[in-house]
Amino acid sequence: MKKLSILLALALLLGVLAACSGNDSENTEGSNDNSGGQNGEAKAPEDFEGELEIWTFFGDVEKMGAQFEEKYPNVSVNVSVFPGDQYQTKLMNAINSRTDIPDIFDLERGYMGKFINQDFVADLSAMGADELVEDYVPYVKELGVGEDGSVRAISDHSSPGAFWYHRDLAEEYLGTSDPDEVSAMVSTWDDIIELGKQVAADSNGDVQLISHFGDVFNTEKANQELWVQDDTLVIDPEWETVFNNMKQIREEGVDAKLGYFSAGWGDALNEGGVIMFANPAWAGFMVGNDDGQANGKYGLAQTPSGYYDGGTYRAVYEGSENKDLAYEFIKFIASEEWQQYNLEETGNMPALTTIYDENGDSFTHEFFGDQKILDTYKEQVMEIPAVKATENNEEISALWYDAAAEAVDNGQDYDTVLSKFKDSVKNGYPNVDVE
Amino acid sequence: MFKNKINKNPHGYYFIAPFFISFFVFGLGPILYSFYLSFTDWSGFNQPSFVGFANYERLLGDALFFKSIGNTLIIWIFSIIPQLTIALTLALVLHEKFIRGRHLFHAIFYFPNIITPITLGVMFALMFDWQTGSINKLLEAVGAISEPIYWLNDVWLSRIIVAGVMMFQNFGFNMLVFLAGLQAIPHDLYEAAEIDGASKFQTAIRITLPLMRPVLIFTLITSVIGGLQIFDAPLMIGKGPNDSTLTMIMNLYEAAFIRYDYGYGATIAYGAFVVIAIATVITFLIPGVRKKKEA
Repeated sequence: MKKLSILLALALLLGVLAACSGNDSENTEGSNDNSGGQNGEAKAPEDFEGELEIWTFFGDVEKMGAQFEEKYPNVSVNVSVFPGDQYQTKLMNAINSRTDIPDIFDLERGYMGKFINQDFVADLSAMGADELVEDYVPYVKELGVGEDGSVRAISDHSSPGAFWYHRDLAEEYLGTSDPDEVSAMVSTWDDIIELGKQVAADSNGDVQLISHFGDVFNTEKANQELWVQDDTLVIDPEWETVFNNMKQIREEGVDAKLGYFSAGWGDALNEGGVIMFANPAWAGFMVGNDDGQANGKYGLAQTPSGYYDGGTYRAVYEGSENKDLAYEFIKFIASEEWQQYNLEETGNMPALTTIYDENGDSFTHEFFGDQKILDTYKEQVMEIPAVKATENNEEISALWYDAAAEAVDNGQDYDTVLSKFKDSVKNGYPNVDVE
Repeated sequence: MFKNKINKNPHGYYFIAPFFISFFVFGLGPILYSFYLSFTDWSGFNQPSFVGFANYERLLGDALFFKSIGNTLIIWIFSIIPQLTIALTLALVLHEKFIRGRHLFHAIFYFPNIITPITLGVMFALMFDWQTGSINKLLEAVGAISEPIYWLNDVWLSRIIVAGVMMFQNFGFNMLVFLAGLQAIPHDLYEAAEIDGASKFQTAIRITLPLMRPVLIFTLITSVIGGLQIFDAPLMIGKGPNDSTLTMIMNLYEAAFIRYDYGYGATIAYGAFVVIAIATVITFLIPGVRKKKEA
């Protein structure tokens, strides 16, 4: 009986081993086949066949899949959407256990740095992706580049931010609703503070110029040096200016004390009470426009510095059996065709500068009336410094902001911010030297 | 003589097997695995690397961990005292025969327990919002305050609010447990007391409370264990000023699932386990908890 079970186990083991090696040879054959196709003449969309598995946290990727299927009739795209912040954990688990890994997975810019330098992320440059991102907005391109200089992830959009202002309130309190004039009035934080004081005085405190001092942080955070260099915490002296502006805004009564994306903030964005909001281009879903009440309601003005907020990138799994098809999908989302469609359908800003240029004179969005918003966004987006995605810069920035916001709320000085911030970094990142 | 009477039929084991198999796979497995992880450095990629007791050394020098223990205990005490008091009072009142529609009240008081802690956390955060919260609006409307109160920027107020969420959620459940305990007390004891001329208060102190002791102990111990694991509601309300509402499990969540420092996260989990074990032992040491039933 015992012998029999040992024999059985051995047979099973052999079977598994054979299956594994069988897969391997199949894989190599498959990729040879495909690379042959790549080296040879370009395949037509109809020639691509198969099934693509995509994981994302962003529901709109389903639209992307549908468009791709339309163009590639013999391909079916399965998009699995996992909303919420558990997506990252789910993806990591799948990759670690090597089970059910999708061909393509989305990465959020905040944590992307951890992923794209790993072995399981395909080198897209080797498949020709440098060409795809040639005309990209510099910051969008650079974020997807790995430490070795190869393209590892590609986005189909940029996420520039700018001031969205209520036109009626601007007319009433700023004396104009013309985007250029308003942009000129808010071109520095000092100007904003002065203007904000005036607005608060004119309205007897009923209306504020901006929603929250957090706008200073949001619009300036891309311009500082990276927090961690050579495993040492580097605190850019510019952060103190950011803090002082935040503090002054609160002390002078310039902000409405409505936290970014809080319930009160949403009300003010829709109903008024605050004149302008530093918003990313994708914030339109926060505006209610069921019966067209938001048409032409806002103007778009430049923030003191160009900035971006958020970003979804797409990477290909190195071990995917469908790598070529996956790359075809990446090629599709990096194309003018998709980005033009996406701009028209959803109002998401493109990643290609060529799309910005081609639509600059014509594209308008219902919320902004006949303002040519692409020009404003393009000026903002081209200012953003191009840096590589890092492992924890985003999280450390959040620690700085937590310390700074608490100090502003409690009327404390910058030294308090620094000591609290350094403690948090020491506590959370023991490998980083903090002086 | 008795030996032969023991039924050695293995079928019983088959019936209990599903529980044990699922417990070993989904319960014990992760417990042991996270114990192993607590000795490693692992960010979720590649393989965990063994670091010996480094994480535990870090934990013992981690001021935030000790602060989170303090926060949790403070919040727990703030919630447990009113929670058990309200639950017991309500149970005693609703146990009285003259109350009409008792079952309706049972249901109403139990409702908050059905709501998930996340929802309650969000609800309380909105209610106590500085600028737009309903509490401030209400107080302003009745003229109690002229400037809105920044509730969640105050160390003690924010802890009290978190404790309030827990109290609101759990008093109904404890009330039902107490009611069950009350109903188990034989009625003739009360009748005897009545004949002897005992007052309502005397019956409550001399009969009801002593006979409720097992139920009270059960509630106390489950509340200690549950109360020290609070996580979802405070997570929605936030860390509070100077991390004053950061609980042990929130700290663990931040280490493991925000910073993806799984090794240290597992170490915090074991630290929390030790704290909860100590708290449970202390509960047992309270006079009367371990006292044997009098004959």
